[in-house]
Amino acid sequence: MEAPAPLRKSLALVCCDIVGSTRLIARVGDLVASAVFREFIEHADRLGRQHHSVMIKFLGDGFLAAFENMGDVIPFLISIESLSLLPQNSTLIGRLEGFRFSLHYGSVLYIETSYGSDVLGEDVNIAAHLSEIAQPNEVVISQAALERMPADYQTLAGAIEVRPFKRVGDVKFRRVKLIEYHPNRMPAWFRRP
Amino acid sequence: MAASDAEPMPEVVTEAIVVIDLVESTLTSNLFGWYAVGRQAIRDLRALIGEVGERRGLRCLRSTGDGYLLTFHDPQSAERAALHAVEAVFELLNRVAHRNREVPEERALNLRCAVHLGEVDVVPNDREGPHISMAFRLEGISRASLPAALNPIPPEQFPLQNYVLCSEEVAGILSRRATHWELASIGLLKLKGFPGWREVFRITSEEHPTDLGSGMRAP
Repeated sequence: MEAPAPLRKSLALVCCDIVGSTRLIARVGDLVASAVFREFIEHADRLGRQHHSVMIKFLGDGFLAAFENMGDVIPFLISIESLSLLPQNSTLIGRLEGFRFSLHYGSVLYIETSYGSDVLGEDVNIAAHLSEIAQPNEVVISQAALERMPADYQTLAGAIEVRPFKRVGDVKFRRVKLIEYHPNRMPAWFRRP
Repeated sequence: MAASDAEPMPEVVTEAIVVIDLVESTLTSNLFGWYAVGRQAIRDLRALIGEVGERRGLRCLRSTGDGYLLTFHDPQSAERAALHAVEAVFELLNRVAHRNREVPEERALNLRCAVHLGEVDVVPNDREGPHISMAFRLEGISRASLPAALNPIPPEQFPLQNYVLCSEEVAGILSRRATHWELASIGLLKLKGFPGWREVFRITSEEHPTDLGSGMRAP
């Protein structure tokens, strides 16, 4: 069957990195570490579907996910952040140090490939490089993404920062500490089904 | 080996680092025998590297078992060392293509090459440091790496042999200082042991008409 034609879409792009994945492999060995990553991937895939992601692509010790609705993103990030806190996820507890997230909004080419769906474009690179700036348990949100988020979410963001990126120029972004918004402590408007 | 090896070298230098891997060398040796085919192939490769590197600042040539680690040095400019390294690699691929037309198929050489630039520790007949590891990581990229890359080219478009990859550092130098190389990003990749995303490029050359992409013999 022929692959569907590539589609130009404006999407929210989320990059997630597991903090300290190399340290984890060194500490517990590659066999246990691969079990941790496998369980993380299973949960992230499930949570992506629950929160209506249009694509989730796993990248070794993290993932790239895309969303059409910006309102789905922060609840998804909080559900990921909570993975290592839930008692039923025994493989992850005490092993995952945390996550670094980035969130950007931009125009991408949505394609079907031999390995599944993927998104291409300079905005994907921006999302990836923003995740390098994030501290553990923090989400770095580009201004382009922040402006499209529900007003309640915008109030969580810190001061504006700027960083130059190759081929793109200056990108404005803000930081949000997700750990403050874990399920038991998050505001009522976060507690969505 | 270049005569300049006899000169005293600084402990840490910036050099262009090239990793060359002989494709399916173990399989070939197992099939046709190390003494009958494998040994001659690796010796021929060493001789060809010596020929193309001699006048281009080749400073280190170390066997990695089924390939070689090379470094190139230019006393005037580290960036020129990178240009010399890329020139040498394409000259090598050209010579290999010519050689492959003259020998039986089982004796053909097919290569994977990666070029990086960085500071290295100089030890006798060898180099050490994270930039060496980076060059080996680049050489290890294959079609299977691309599904875990961002903005990847389709895996089917990634060549199987006789190609040259380079780091962002080398790509930057080539785009500033040379016009006859073409650079194509293959995507952003995470390289084991190195933090963050690295954009990796494939280098092609208009001056080398051999179909380096597929490694097919020119007619």
